[in-house]
Amino acid sequence: MSQNDTRAYLASARAWLAEQAPAYSGAARRGLSVEEDLALGRRWLHLKSEHGYAAITMPKIYGGGGGTEIEKVIFTNEENNYDLPTGYFGISLGMPVPMLLKYASEEVLRELVPPAIRGEQIWCQLFSEPAAGSDLAALTMRATPDGDGWRLNGQKLWTSWAQYSDWGVVVVRTDPTVPKHAGLTYFYVDMKSPGVEVRVIPKLAGESEINEVFFNDVFVPDAQRMGGVGGGFKVAMETLMIERYAVSDEAVGGISVEKFVDLAMRTRINGQPALADGEVRRLIADTVAERQGLRSIHRRAMAAIAAGTEPGPEGAIRKLLGARRRQQVSAVAMDLLGVDGVIMTEGAQPTEDFTESWIESPPLRIAGGSDEILRNTIAEKVLGLPQDHRPDKGIPFNKLS
Amino acid sequence: MNFDFSADQKELADHARRFLGESCTFDRLRDNMAGEEAYDRSLWQQMVELGWTAINIPEAQGGLGMGSLELCLLSEEVGRVLAPVPFFSTVCLGAHILNQLGQESLREQYLPPIAAGESVVAVALMPGLGQLEYADGCASGALGPVAWLGAADLLISRARDNHGTECLVLIDAKHATVARRNIDGVVLDGLVRHGQAEFSATPARLLASGDEARRLIELALAQAAILTAFEQLGGAQACCEMARDYSLERYTFGRVIGGYQAIKHKLADVQVEIELARSNAYYGAWALATDAAELARAAALARISATEAFTLAAEENLQVHGGIGYTWEANCHFYYQRARLLAINYGNADYWSQQLLAGLQAAH
Ligand SMILES: Cc1cc2nc3c(=O)[nH]c(=O)nc-3n(C[C@H](O)[C@H](O)[C@H](O)COP(=O)(O)OP(=O)(O)OC[C@H]3O[C@@H](n4cnc5c(N)ncnc54)[C@H](O)[C@@H]3O)c2cc1C
Repeated sequence: MSQNDTRAYLASARAWLAEQAPAYSGAARRGLSVEEDLALGRRWLHLKSEHGYAAITMPKIYGGGGGTEIEKVIFTNEENNYDLPTGYFGISLGMPVPMLLKYASEEVLRELVPPAIRGEQIWCQLFSEPAAGSDLAALTMRATPDGDGWRLNGQKLWTSWAQYSDWGVVVVRTDPTVPKHAGLTYFYVDMKSPGVEVRVIPKLAGESEINEVFFNDVFVPDAQRMGGVGGGFKVAMETLMIERYAVSDEAVGGISVEKFVDLAMRTRINGQPALADGEVRRLIADTVAERQGLRSIHRRAMAAIAAGTEPGPEGAIRKLLGARRRQQVSAVAMDLLGVDGVIMTEGAQPTEDFTESWIESPPLRIAGGSDEILRNTIAEKVLGLPQDHRPDKGIPFNKLS
Repeated sequence: MNFDFSADQKELADHARRFLGESCTFDRLRDNMAGEEAYDRSLWQQMVELGWTAINIPEAQGGLGMGSLELCLLSEEVGRVLAPVPFFSTVCLGAHILNQLGQESLREQYLPPIAAGESVVAVALMPGLGQLEYADGCASGALGPVAWLGAADLLISRARDNHGTECLVLIDAKHATVARRNIDGVVLDGLVRHGQAEFSATPARLLASGDEARRLIELALAQAAILTAFEQLGGAQACCEMARDYSLERYTFGRVIGGYQAIKHKLADVQVEIELARSNAYYGAWALATDAAELARAAALARISATEAFTLAAEENLQVHGGIGYTWEANCHFYYQRARLLAINYGNADYWSQQLLAGLQAAH
């Protein structure tokens, strides 16, 4: 894509969003129940799919945009300027559906991908379990052969949006007699199958997207296996990497630095304008400097994508810094608000309400690679430092104590 | 200064810890949050029976005549379990302020019901909570958010008279001219119920005005800072213990997570902050008990360190728990929210830093 093409694409995406997005974002979402917001999200995705803006990189025959990775990044960056109800589909279109494109037959793709791209169906990702989070390969949910398929038994945990999902991708243990990474297999499952039970897990605050999912003798045809028997860990890792460069917004879903500056302009510290306070100025400067640096990293990654090479593990940097920054900036904002910070705006998004932004920041430091795991990744993959000692290495799973 | 609590005081603290550990469980906190009652009345009643509401009230007014050191220790224990009762505003502040008053008739009237647990007090001292105008025995204006204002029997508030002079007034919070409401819906830390109220020509007793009012407010804020620091210390300590216990239980990659240096160093950093906070809180306790000249400075130090410690401990406790830490069922969120509430209530870090620096400059 030439620079001119990029500019033209950006201009038309921006114009299209300016015309369409307001009816689906901001004031249009205020006061909606989750069900209503989800319905609005489905309509937004459907509208995008009619204009080539849904699943931009996926083939047109399945309802995707047939575009490039760069176009997707450009569009998503612009789209993030509006708080649109896109969160419900982030995992669905970000990981399981792209994996399906790699592993499923033409017939399956024609049946399952279009409804996902139009927002009629949602896919979830059933990886984590009670005793398997950071250490995914420690999972215990079993699949045992049964005729031309498998029987699934066990429990998944933290499955985002499972309560609204039609399909899911799942990693299970098919062979406990080999070391833990080697005995896993990957399937896609119909979430409406008999024996699947989804229970919402109440969160610290707000409406919950997280669930526990129980599998009780759930039958899955072998045709729904993705990858080889025993090859599940590799496919799971591929899933986590597939969104080659996740386009999160710069404030990782929280309050922007611009909104923080606005607040600092209208609040006071010890009688002086907060914006005149040295510590506040330093925080703003640090945040903006970090954002600028991350933008450059982002641009380098985009260049790598455009050149057809993989961006490095530097992508982890954005999440590592962004999550902590959001927590910190939101906390200082609450300091500026004083006791008024105890009151949250009913139904407000974390992009609009400082307390909401703060209260919903902890999972960003945990899900999808915790701060500590990301640091390990940077130390090991970028700096080449040795891994911590892992006593379970090479030992058959059923021999682990 | 080499300060420590006496054996009797430590025994009181041990007893309080055992009692609260058994009676103020996390499930009880969840029930409280889901329920209609502003505070946990049966827990409050038990505390009354233990004499906690009478602790700093003179014997002449039906109290136990103990001092602020006992309050420090109880505040730490209340903070450790996040007891959903108006102990801080009623006993630590309300009884304290009334106790300082020169007029015996006021003390006679208002202290015995507090000692007996029949009177809950809300206190509004920080600027920025709204404004009350006082004139001719009446107060008008609006206040909020103020902790426990919706449930209180009495309100002690800062006000201004018609000459603009600072004063301190006492109001029957249940009077018909007080339009008050609990702040419901989505709030930070639903265990400390905040309220808002409008006052229109509400009968008010003038407790003090001018220099005397300023002196009382300053003293009350120092008391608030030090006792809040103890509350924060209790919370921080609870977080650190929770995180340590969990890190000894949770396995990843075949090892307890507490064995990873990333987790060990994290918890060591928390412990270091707690040790600092404890030292500064004890310094504050000593200054409070001896009415030391350094009281204002000690209050600021105690508060700054305690806010640092509790913030870090609460955030990292949740982090160490991983995904489970973010659920309603796990208990990390109670502390995560309380840490932030106490960081912004009764003066945030900026306010106390300013107090500390003003003191340092004056001494220079
Ligand atoms: C909001 C939310 C949504 C989620 N959505 C999904 C989903 O849709 N699908 C899904 O499969 N999962 C999902 N997850 C699960 C998520 O991936 C896990 O929570 C995450 O991998 C961490 O695992 P854990 O919670 O078991 O914590 P643990 O792995 O038990 O970690 C506990 C603590 O130990 C630390 N730790 C662990 N190992 C090490 C080490 N080797 N060195 C140093 N420190 C270490 C961690 O950093 C953390 O602080 C979600 C989680 C959340 C909070």
